[in-house]
Amino acid sequence: MEPVTIIVALTGLLGLYMAWNIGANDVANSMGCAVGSRSISIKWAVIAAGICEFAGAVLVGAHVTDTVRKGIVDPQAVAALPGLPEGGAAALFLLGMAAALLAAAVWLNLATWMGMPVSTTHSIVGAVAGFGVVAAGWSAVHWGKMGQIVASWFLSPIAGGILGFVIFRIISRLILGREKPVRAAIRVTPYIVFSMTVVVTLAIVYKGLRHLIAERAEWLTGNHAFLLAGAVGLLAGLVSRILIRRALRHKSGLPLGEQLDVVERVFAPLVVVGSCTVAFSHGANDVANAIGPLAAILDICSTCSIKMQVYVPPWVLALGGCGIVVGLATYGYRVMDTVGQKITQITPSRGVAACIAATTTVLVCTRMKLPVSTTHTLVGAILGIGLARGLAAVNRRVTRNIFGSWLITVPAAGVLAVVFFLVGKIFLFDIVREAIS
Amino acid sequence: MSLIKELFGKSPFGPLVEHTKKVHECVKLVRPLMEALAREDREEIHRLQDEVSKLEYEADRIKHEIREQLPRRYFLPVDREELEDFLHCQDQIADSAEDFAVILIIRETKIHPLLKEDFFGFVDQVVHVSNMLAEAAVELQNLAETAFGGAEAKSVLERIGGLGEEEWKADRMQRRLCQKIYHLEDELDPTTILFYDKMIEALSQIANAAENTGDLLRSMILKG
Repeated sequence: MEPVTIIVALTGLLGLYMAWNIGANDVANSMGCAVGSRSISIKWAVIAAGICEFAGAVLVGAHVTDTVRKGIVDPQAVAALPGLPEGGAAALFLLGMAAALLAAAVWLNLATWMGMPVSTTHSIVGAVAGFGVVAAGWSAVHWGKMGQIVASWFLSPIAGGILGFVIFRIISRLILGREKPVRAAIRVTPYIVFSMTVVVTLAIVYKGLRHLIAERAEWLTGNHAFLLAGAVGLLAGLVSRILIRRALRHKSGLPLGEQLDVVERVFAPLVVVGSCTVAFSHGANDVANAIGPLAAILDICSTCSIKMQVYVPPWVLALGGCGIVVGLATYGYRVMDTVGQKITQITPSRGVAACIAATTTVLVCTRMKLPVSTTHTLVGAILGIGLARGLAAVNRRVTRNIFGSWLITVPAAGVLAVVFFLVGKIFLFDIVREAIS
Repeated sequence: MSLIKELFGKSPFGPLVEHTKKVHECVKLVRPLMEALAREDREEIHRLQDEVSKLEYEADRIKHEIREQLPRRYFLPVDREELEDFLHCQDQIADSAEDFAVILIIRETKIHPLLKEDFFGFVDQVVHVSNMLAEAAVELQNLAETAFGGAEAKSVLERIGGLGEEEWKADRMQRRLCQKIYHLEDELDPTTILFYDKMIEALSQIANAAENTGDLLRSMILKG
């Protein structure tokens, strides 16, 4: 077997392992709102999450993957290192990416074993930055980008919180707080459906599908994308209006308490769709944590250089998506069950607000090529809803965890990556160099 | 990732509605007690007093459960102190109802025929005040659902708004009843007057506690 194949196979397995982890641990949070509010069974939640995570990874996953593979560590800085033999820069980069992947995977297991909550996003970003500094010095890392990324780790839960607050206020003022909530629901809910659909569609099509349908996507320029998203949203809004009207017919005469119950039941399918969009955005943002380094390695192996001009190939994203789905199906459903039992305080109306807030924030960050933690964003959204008096008892201490958790993970994963990279450089440098040339 | 699991605490609003219903059941026995006293049915008075005490104990248990499940680290949609004061005050309604029942069993007191009508009128008004409060307080879960705003909050606030006036009417009835008692003081022995006074005091405490609870409920809704 050719050495290159071995390299690809080994790193591929590592990438798949990371993806498996993401599916096993993180996806449960994406579907949390739907499962917690009892709007969907675990079985169907797993199926829906699998489909949506995969779709998100393949359709929108390329942006953040690009950041991980060449946006944090500058390949040119590595190429410009003095005294490197033929193909040495490529070998170094490859070793670094492999080390980063290994470090992130090891840290993930270590932290889980120690019982700490850990973010795959923080791990991979810390690991990649770590190897970059050691491989080619401080200036090899795009510190501007790193600054943006770390800022997004603070801003995404805050944005999620603000959006969650605002959206829930809208729902409670315009629907729940009315004298006849049923009538208000018939009027207002289609607009909610419209907004959700526009956000997700826009995230997919706005200058976004080039990696899939490169030539045929020429007409999908800025304005056309908006029109398409608007049209799809309109369609979804109209369909939802018909369905909601039918479900809520004759119910506006009920006493207030029962009307609220009925409205919550109508929101149940909505929160399922909302959770699916969260799973979609999670797949789009997090597949990079597993596949980013792998994409870099594959590119190096096939081109023997570290230019990385091509788009991330869709099959790599699909591979990551598969890993996530397998992780979800083999272990994630158990986590989903546990999480679902603990968050029954989320009623569908709250769940919808949290999902829209989280999805919008994560998708915007994804299109800005920023890797963020979907879980933290969701927690931020839920806290925002709590501030809008929407939840009966919210644990304040969780805020501490959100803002401080990366302080441990980033250095830890970075140090591990440095260690693995140096070991690899000493023992494997020449082997790799020969293999890829 | 255990973050989402740790995020939520148990809602106190369901148990609060339970507490309201329990207290209401205590107060529902006040009129039957008065009727049994008027009929001089000692057995029935004892039976009712037993029931009231049991219900009051159950209300106490719910109160303690609610307190236990609200550690400081949880952020609530209402002011925590006001919630605790509300609970304490509503509990006093049940306490006063129990006091009334106990007063009736520790001495065989007879109601003077000329005072019967006024006593029953007073009891009815006091129970009416407490019912008004109960009808508002059971809406706490719906209030939580509508985030303490909108049409539901408005309607509950309107219901509480009438409490002050009804309690004032109860006060007036209490004064008239006491005046009548002292008009008849030559026909009554001092111990009986003493017991009438105790009974009236316990009844008026029910109405007072209900009014104060209503005030706290209003604060919970408006602030938070």
